[in-house]
Amino acid sequence: MTKITIPIGPQHPALKEPLSFLLTVEGEQILDSALRIGYVHRGLERICQNRNYVQNVHVVERVCGICSHIHTTTYCQGVEALLGLQVPPRALYLRTLLCELERIHSHLLWLGVLAEYIGFTTIFMYAWRDREIVLDIMEELSGGRVAHAANVIGGVSIDADEAHVASILDRLDVLERQIKLFLDLIRRERSFQARTRGVGHLSAEQIRRYCVVGPAARASGVDVDLRRDAPYAAYKWLNFQVITAEEGDVWARTMVRVLETIESLHMCRQLLTELPAGPLTVRAPRRVPPGEVVSRTEAPRGELIYYIRSDGSDRPARVKIRTPTLTTLITLHDQLAGVHTADVPVVLAGVDLCIACADR
Amino acid sequence: MLSRLRSLLYLLPQFWRMLFTRPVTVRYPFAPLKLPSYFRGKVTIDPELCRGCGMCARDCPAFALELERESRDNFRLIHYHDRCAYCGQCEASCNFGAIKLVNEFVPAAPQRDTLSRVMVRRDNEEA
Repeated sequence: MTKITIPIGPQHPALKEPLSFLLTVEGEQILDSALRIGYVHRGLERICQNRNYVQNVHVVERVCGICSHIHTTTYCQGVEALLGLQVPPRALYLRTLLCELERIHSHLLWLGVLAEYIGFTTIFMYAWRDREIVLDIMEELSGGRVAHAANVIGGVSIDADEAHVASILDRLDVLERQIKLFLDLIRRERSFQARTRGVGHLSAEQIRRYCVVGPAARASGVDVDLRRDAPYAAYKWLNFQVITAEEGDVWARTMVRVLETIESLHMCRQLLTELPAGPLTVRAPRRVPPGEVVSRTEAPRGELIYYIRSDGSDRPARVKIRTPTLTTLITLHDQLAGVHTADVPVVLAGVDLCIACADR
Repeated sequence: MLSRLRSLLYLLPQFWRMLFTRPVTVRYPFAPLKLPSYFRGKVTIDPELCRGCGMCARDCPAFALELERESRDNFRLIHYHDRCAYCGQCEASCNFGAIKLVNEFVPAAPQRDTLSRVMVRRDNEEA
């Protein structure tokens, strides 16, 4: 059989994210794939060097359109460490609350995308409908659906009173019922399993070799979660479980993410009921003493790393962002080898790519 | 066989319920949209309270605010809607409470250069 090379992307109906593939196929089987990224590179790291620390909070918020809050959290955490600031507990709780709400919204969005790729439009519609509950909560808390502008250096700019907390808790109950329905559906639905089981398999050994992080690693039995391993913000006061699975395929990643969503809901409840009183910010000086810091958090897609170097002025000398998607992109070559062409969208959706994050 | 059938029928109660619920979509623009009180919309500046310190212009990440100063009591504060990212940093940076992001959409404009607006103008000549 002759070999054919098929280009996919950067604009393609089977691929919403702007990345490009050259697939070498023989019949239906994929033999080789070549990846090309960089289509949404905006030079944000360089932009950060031309703006002061306060302005940069809003610049790094625009790295990603899904997990914007975790980027500002990581950045502010790093700058606060350089300044030696003690952030008040109420601010840490509210920060963590938005982080977890964002994880729920990111995972539900991902579930919808995966369902659409495998042709299960019902789940896609339901998941995105219920994601609106979380987006509404976040909009009420911060004033923006995606760009929250909730973090400031030294605390948060948002607050929630008791009536608001009660109304959020009510809506989280509705959301939990819906997510349990998805979980039930994914467990029982045969067409969903037929499309996802055994597709895009990664072994624990491969995960370690490629340094994959986040739900993709946890779905292959590698138990890494920064929220437990190196607790930041309010995670040290929370009670939660790290979800892992053994299979390592798209099915296992779905289960890990949906179960993580339920776990995040429990964390949101803990955060809201135990919300301590106190100030929301501490005063942060504009000039940051010379030094360098590495700030790490667990973004919805895995470990997010910020490296910030200060030269003593009011602008950072260097901001380096390592996003979790970068680690999963490398594994795509292994995941795509040997799969059928019809399974390519499932594999690509299964790892939850965020190219805007990876390209920055 | 039975489990296959159950897998097909599983969503039916959901579908049935959805037939009798209201659509989840909103009727905007035919009906007004309810926005939360924190919504960051149009940037308004109270010229009475503004002292022209320039903190907002210094902290604006999009360089949407410009302060043109000739002397202490002679300055203009210009806001460029087209550059504004509606992040609310100017509101947070203002020490005098002059800037508010109100609960209002910003309308579109046919031309970009019509989008800049002089928000504060002080022309007091110094005594």
